[in-house]
Amino acid sequence: MVDWLTMTIQVASLAMAGWCLVSTFRDQPMVVPHLVGMGLLWLLVLGQVGATVVTVVGGDRPAETAMFVSYLATVALLPPACAVWGFMERSKWGPAVIAFACLILPVLFVRLEQLWNPVA
Amino acid sequence: MPETTAPTARTLRTGPGRLLVAVYGVFALAATARGGFQLATKFGEAPLAYALSLFAGVVYLVAAVGLARAGRISRLVALVSCSVEVVGVLVVGAASVLMPEVFPDDTVWSHFGGGYLFIPLVLPVVGLWWIMRVHRVDRD
Repeated sequence: MVDWLTMTIQVASLAMAGWCLVSTFRDQPMVVPHLVGMGLLWLLVLGQVGATVVTVVGGDRPAETAMFVSYLATVALLPPACAVWGFMERSKWGPAVIAFACLILPVLFVRLEQLWNPVA
Repeated sequence: MPETTAPTARTLRTGPGRLLVAVYGVFALAATARGGFQLATKFGEAPLAYALSLFAGVVYLVAAVGLARAGRISRLVALVSCSVEVVGVLVVGAASVLMPEVFPDDTVWSHFGGGYLFIPLVLPVVGLWWIMRVHRVDRD
């Protein structure tokens, strides 16, 4: 896994969560800029997942490969799934869904890094 | 947010229900994957704990689907699965504190969901509150 990319994703995700929480408390629905933000976040996540898959296929894999791959699949699917689910809702609860997803994402990356480097 | 009188078919998954379904979806995935992997890879170590994790995951999945789908039957399904979760987290939580030897490994419900920020304890209560609320709004 690319360490600086994980850091970037975690910071971006938390920033996105903060923005969406502000929108929720201001009683605003999800708008296109939210969606663009989620798209950018998703690109970062896909970059990390892609780079990691290449490494894993290359033979450098963690001990619990199956668990690791299932976490990878989850982080790859979580942003678009929640973005669509939130965008369908035309009330302040749309950004609330995204905020939740963006708070879960950094935690998932912590787990991924733990599985990747069990000693750390 | 203005409380609109949307038709029965939509209310459970709109508004706060939207967030509830998302949280349930993530928990369904987490608990099912955890229980499934543990049962598959180290069944002998703590079969009861792993089976319970898998069971909890399936209940979360049923609740998520029940909340997300429209209609009376799914509302009943959501009601029953949220009730099962309340009982599950209370019984397993109490058992894990009083008889830790029964649970050599943790489940999502151990220590009343403490390993998951107590979300497993709060989630079904919020779920039940939401179902009751929508049900009352519908009846009026």
